[in-house]
Amino acid sequence: MTPEDVVSKTFGVGRSSITDATSNQSVADWDSLGHITLVLELESVYGVSFSPEEALEITNVAAIKKALERRGVAW
Amino acid sequence: MTVRTPDVIARNPSTDGFSRETSHNLVRAIRASLTAQSTDAAALLEAYVALDALGAARWLLDSGAVRALIPPARLSAALATLIERLPVDLNDDGREIVEAVARTHADALPPDALAALWSRLPRDRERTWLRDEVERALTAAPGNAGVLRAAVALAIQAGDAPRAHALLTRLGRADSTLATTTYVRNTRKTLPPTGAPPARVALLSSYTIDPLIPFVDLECHALGLAPEIYLAPFNTWAREVIDEASGLRRFDPDLVFLSVAIDDLIPSLSRGHVPAEVLAEEGEGAVRRVVEVAARFRTWASTPLVVHSFHSAFGGPAGILDGREEPSRAAWLAELNVGLAEALRALPSCYLLDVSDLLLRGSAPSGDNPKLRHLASMRLPSAGLPVIARAYARYIAPCKGLTRKCVVLDLDNTLWGGVVGEDGLSGIRLGHTSPGSEFVEFQEFLRALSQRGILLAVNSKNNPDDALEVIRSHESMILRESAFSAVRINWRPKHDNMIEIAEELNIGVDSLVFVDDNPDERALMRQALPQVLTVELPHDASLYRSVLEDLPQLQVLAVTEEDRMRVGHLYANRQRQEVKIDAASLDDYLRSLAVAVECARATPAMFPRLAQLFQRTNQFNATTRRYDISDVSRLSQDPAFRLYGLKARDRFGDHGLVAAALVRITAPLWTIDSFVMSCRVIGYGIETSLLAEVCAEAIAAGATRLEGEFIATSKNVPAKDLYARHGFAWRETTGAVERWELDLAAAVRVPPWIAREPQ
Repeated sequence: MTPEDVVSKTFGVGRSSITDATSNQSVADWDSLGHITLVLELESVYGVSFSPEEALEITNVAAIKKALERRGVAW
Repeated sequence: MTVRTPDVIARNPSTDGFSRETSHNLVRAIRASLTAQSTDAAALLEAYVALDALGAARWLLDSGAVRALIPPARLSAALATLIERLPVDLNDDGREIVEAVARTHADALPPDALAALWSRLPRDRERTWLRDEVERALTAAPGNAGVLRAAVALAIQAGDAPRAHALLTRLGRADSTLATTTYVRNTRKTLPPTGAPPARVALLSSYTIDPLIPFVDLECHALGLAPEIYLAPFNTWAREVIDEASGLRRFDPDLVFLSVAIDDLIPSLSRGHVPAEVLAEEGEGAVRRVVEVAARFRTWASTPLVVHSFHSAFGGPAGILDGREEPSRAAWLAELNVGLAEALRALPSCYLLDVSDLLLRGSAPSGDNPKLRHLASMRLPSAGLPVIARAYARYIAPCKGLTRKCVVLDLDNTLWGGVVGEDGLSGIRLGHTSPGSEFVEFQEFLRALSQRGILLAVNSKNNPDDALEVIRSHESMILRESAFSAVRINWRPKHDNMIEIAEELNIGVDSLVFVDDNPDERALMRQALPQVLTVELPHDASLYRSVLEDLPQLQVLAVTEEDRMRVGHLYANRQRQEVKIDAASLDDYLRSLAVAVECARATPAMFPRLAQLFQRTNQFNATTRRYDISDVSRLSQDPAFRLYGLKARDRFGDHGLVAAALVRITAPLWTIDSFVMSCRVIGYGIETSLLAEVCAEAIAAGATRLEGEFIATSKNVPAKDLYARHGFAWRETTGAVERWELDLAAAVRVPPWIAREPQ
């Protein structure tokens, strides 16, 4: 499952409309609660635990990918 | 074997980064392996997919070659990898190719791959083949979250909202993550309302409990309710109860859940050592604050209040020395909860939800999620959310009147292991060791259920003699004949037995739960009698108990003395039936029962049972006015009303409080506003006794006329002729209300076979 899949699944947004630029600014349900939901989902899908700073930073798809790459996670 | 060259690849090399040469080399290798009839073709295909998904897709279009070369299981795996590996930014041509591949090999497409493909295709046009495939996958893999998501979208596209709702419930159950459950709730918001009865649930908390909402929403929908959930603003739990203009008061909840974190009330818990006496004092203060709010709530609402027990994110600061010098944090907390429970018991309809126990026994790994605590002020672990929501459902179901009255059980492989007709009395598995101990444990639980007032019945395909021998004489059998209120052991269709059981027990088919290990029997039951709650029983008998333990429809908000006695009653009823056959006439029979009644004005001890009679009685209920316990308490003190309760017993046992009448007093006219009687005492003349008591009281108070109101419903046929039978004359019908009148010069008398006992 790609980060795009996770974002699509969490917010019910069409997978084909998601790009690296997709962010909490462009997705309606990606509010503060939605963000926690997404962080939990990413942690569970990839078996990682983000630091508090990362958890706050990963507010767009590119940042999510970067954070996962730093942890050596492939998808 | 002739193999066509996959020339589509030669003409149309991959565009996503692999050279024409790589593709050609792979194709050549595949071809070579084909000619050699080697078994490596599948492995090569997998490599091809891994290296160049789109190139491999083009080759896969040549279905003849593919099918000749690749065994079905390997093809399925390759298709799954192919779809999984498609680049995110696939262009339209690429999508078309992949869709064509999937379509060509639809029968080999695993459910996950189908779901992944569906999520990757734009929703630009109708794809009939995909709809059919999703339908097929739904049957093959009913619990696949991806397929369920696709099916939901298709149901919405087709404008089928009820199906979309049902599928969303399945999806929430299949993947109980916060992400999916939130998606389920958000998607429901876009659908038209279901028309299900509403459930108004309020959540009050000292911390962020928002993530629990989608889970509670899901559980309500699973119970067939349309939830409306009120979330009090962050940390306003006390103010919302006290403030007369609060959102909570305006919301008018059916049920309130209050969760206060001890760590919020006593911040020093996260710090170092706190002296025992300080901790004791602070703990008492915390309990007091919560109980005061609960008591305050009781002053303006009679709806159930469920309070979370205290649990802390922090262990003792002394490490392994915790509990060595003074009581440990855990011991202190346990004591606090004992105090909280005790104080709540003193308040009507307040319940303690033991959260630590729930999280410990459930599959949730821990009671704390530090990141969420810091990031979001959340004090429940995310893995615990579905567990807690399911616990909430156990309050919501009885609060909304969804409690079922009787559990109907299969025997073979349900109450014991094996088939008695084949294995014999000594061959079946039932005893202290496994296999067999699972069934003993299940039976123990069923016995506890009947102590809750839920009836048990048997519905089994067996030779009656074989099965009854086990029930009567197997040494490890917990549930003997007297535990069952109705027994059907025969070879008839089980749904026919089910209807008979409902009739014998005087309850609706929609009050029954069906428990059977055989999936075919369950499917038949769902088909024939959808009103019956047919429980999905797992294969593993050691899980039977927890499945029923978790069933919200078997929870009750209060157990009255009558509930505890009910099982004995029905067994006594079977004995009464036998007397009936012996007695020469009905009159002899009634005399032989030696029925005695005792009628009295309502006292506080009678309130819970009176409320239960008004709320649960459907059949012998003249007006079906549903008074709850706070109404009963109010009406019994209102000088404009008289509330009577009647207790009955006979030589087989005590029936308890079985009938009630609420009378409105306006001299010289008394009006019977409500008249209810438990249906298990229909036919003994008990209603006549109660009417006679009301007449006597009315005459003593100087009334000359008695009026009875009747409102017909689909269920109260047994009460239809109540007033006509007792000499009342029909006077008028206004709207739904019929009014029947009796001149008290011809008062109703207690039947000659009933003894009247002094109050």
